[in-house]
Amino acid sequence: MTASQTRTASPRRKTWASGAWKTKLAPYLFLLPNMAIFATFTIYPAINGFNMSLYSSSNGRTFKWEGLGNYQKILTDQEFWGVARNTVIYTVSFVVLATVFALLIATLVNAQGRGKTFFRAVFFVPVLVSPVAVGLIWNWILERQNGLLNTALGGIGLGPVPWLVNPAWAMVAIIMVGVWMQTGFYMLILLAGLQSIDPVLFEAAKMDGASAWRQFRSITLPMLSPSMAVVVILATIHGFQSFDFIWTLTGGGPVGATTLMVQYIYENGFESPIRYGIATAGGVLLFIAVFILTMINWAVSRRQEAV
Amino acid sequence: MKKLRGILAGLCAVPLVLAVAACAPGQVEGGDQPEAPVGSFNPADYAGETLEYMYFTDGPDEQATRDLIKKFETEYDVTVKLEVLPYSDLVTSTLNRLSAGNAPDVIRLTALTDFRDDLLILDPYLGEDYSDEFLAGPQLAVINDQKQMIAVPSDLTLNGPFVNVDLFNAAGVEIPDKWTWPEMIDKAKQVKEATGIPYAFAMDKSGHRLSTVLSQYGTYMLNSEGNALNQEKAVAALQPLIDMMANDDMPADFWLGSGSRYEGANEIFLAGETPIYLSGNWQVGQFVKNAGFDWAVASNPCAEQCGGFPGGKFMAAFKQSKNPALAAEFLRFMNDTQNQEQFVTVSGQLPTRSDLSKVGLTYADPATQAAMDVFLADLVITPEAGFAANGNPAFSPSATVLVDEVAKVVGGKKDLKTAMADLSVQIDDLVAEIDQ
Repeated sequence: MTASQTRTASPRRKTWASGAWKTKLAPYLFLLPNMAIFATFTIYPAINGFNMSLYSSSNGRTFKWEGLGNYQKILTDQEFWGVARNTVIYTVSFVVLATVFALLIATLVNAQGRGKTFFRAVFFVPVLVSPVAVGLIWNWILERQNGLLNTALGGIGLGPVPWLVNPAWAMVAIIMVGVWMQTGFYMLILLAGLQSIDPVLFEAAKMDGASAWRQFRSITLPMLSPSMAVVVILATIHGFQSFDFIWTLTGGGPVGATTLMVQYIYENGFESPIRYGIATAGGVLLFIAVFILTMINWAVSRRQEAV
Repeated sequence: MKKLRGILAGLCAVPLVLAVAACAPGQVEGGDQPEAPVGSFNPADYAGETLEYMYFTDGPDEQATRDLIKKFETEYDVTVKLEVLPYSDLVTSTLNRLSAGNAPDVIRLTALTDFRDDLLILDPYLGEDYSDEFLAGPQLAVINDQKQMIAVPSDLTLNGPFVNVDLFNAAGVEIPDKWTWPEMIDKAKQVKEATGIPYAFAMDKSGHRLSTVLSQYGTYMLNSEGNALNQEKAVAALQPLIDMMANDDMPADFWLGSGSRYEGANEIFLAGETPIYLSGNWQVGQFVKNAGFDWAVASNPCAEQCGGFPGGKFMAAFKQSKNPALAAEFLRFMNDTQNQEQFVTVSGQLPTRSDLSKVGLTYADPATQAAMDVFLADLVITPEAGFAANGNPAFSPSATVLVDEVAKVVGGKKDLKTAMADLSVQIDDLVAEIDQ
């Protein structure tokens, strides 16, 4: 056997000659433009954000090394812990309520024989409204003296509720509006999950005499758990990142009762005196919190799938 | 295998992140800033050049500015690109442009705090005595620690109370030429009771407006050195406002809730729901146009001292400007006697130039004239300490803290004495931070 014959016989040479590398390379080439955009506008700013959190700067051009000083400042700042508490209260309430309502609505819509598309569209409409407009509209609805809701409550003999001026009620108001705004989106995900469950399972359960509640508990919920995991993960991320509609609805007030983490970051990064280091350190802490919770959600849902 | 690949990817990512993190995200502090080139101005050298002017508008001032720009373009054979931004975007947008090395040549600002190190030092272009053409008060805000002029005070504002004359007449309550805070509150309550309107008094949710009351009670958040707050006087000044909010004589909801962090109570006044509204001269234009009732500007109420609290806008050029001499000349042109007179009389502002303040101004219509005459009279008796307070770079963030602390008192989270003690601590922190 000659040397050239040996080379011809090599699998690598064979792959190259047959052009199989083109097939292997093609997906990466197709991905390249998106990856380049993702790397430029997401990965690089994220890494640079982490980098900036180690410096202090008031203009974004000159930087002073702080090391972990910004993190220390944040973690010893009373305001931060108040904001963290608000964020946790909002996110937990939002995730629970949005998931429960989305499941309820998805189940009801799925049970409709006709008009399924109509109801799906109706519940999805709030998702399409700009969050800024949502904040302004609900500000008008929830206004204490002349707001629509208090006027309606007055009509049935109930006194006005200080929706936006009492700290506890203001938190209720932003949770309520957040759930109203996002439930339609989660409903669509759960509805798709419901529609993918084989109807034969329900027929068999019916024949075995299972009640509607038992069917829901033993078939619907377990079969829906992958979709539920997606909803919980998305809602958790959304909850932690909520800002825009709250900014126009309450401005974070009254007295900071509805100031969440993103607003804390925004105020440090964009309001005088500008503190880019503190803002980016806040961003990194928010990322870590969301990442850990997402990983926990993901691990729990995988374990459930395995069971 | 998949796990191994993941671990390898992770191992590759860590050094990458560390490598990026090892580099400062920009210039490290301590580096020398290049000196601004000193130039002498010869108009012919700049023919055909372009200047960019970053601007925000309160309304009628925009047309006045456009008219003056046209005049400048004709006289100097240059082009001025006016870029009008919403006020809320002005600072962020300009900081981004400075970071990109693409700053506008000239900017209109309400505070210099965020740009002090980036502004062109005007003395080499306009002369060291140029600042003397302006009133002593407004000068305080535009002179830096090295006694150099970094901006031109382009117009002056003064806070003061507007009164709904129709409501006062309906209630049979007289509007005096001078009054004290207790007298003003008493009359406001009389009008509210007699006419059945919702409120006796309204003011903007603004630390600048609260500073008016502090000034009248003889204290300020800041002086040119730093913290100047007399907590006892501050409590005496703000307690009547807190009491009015507790008694629904002043709209508490407005201070506690509702949307944006900075809200104007002008709508409450325009709706005829309050007889007195504490704001400032920039409201005159819109009241002339929109008020469906007889209104007037009343003298500021006195307590320990009289007068209002000053504010204003500035025009400044950036060190990054490609034509610093032309930019400086543009500032001089826009603020010479004739042009500033044109600007302030059309836009309903007060002049910053000493010569214009001495001769008095003729405004566009009798209503504006009457209103501005009262503001001008109050300006004369406004203590200079107010200008020093407003000119301190820490004023704007301190004013935000003042609003937050007062809101905490209104919301029942703190008593006023504690709030003022906390305010004082935060003012110290802000002064130290900004001086760094």
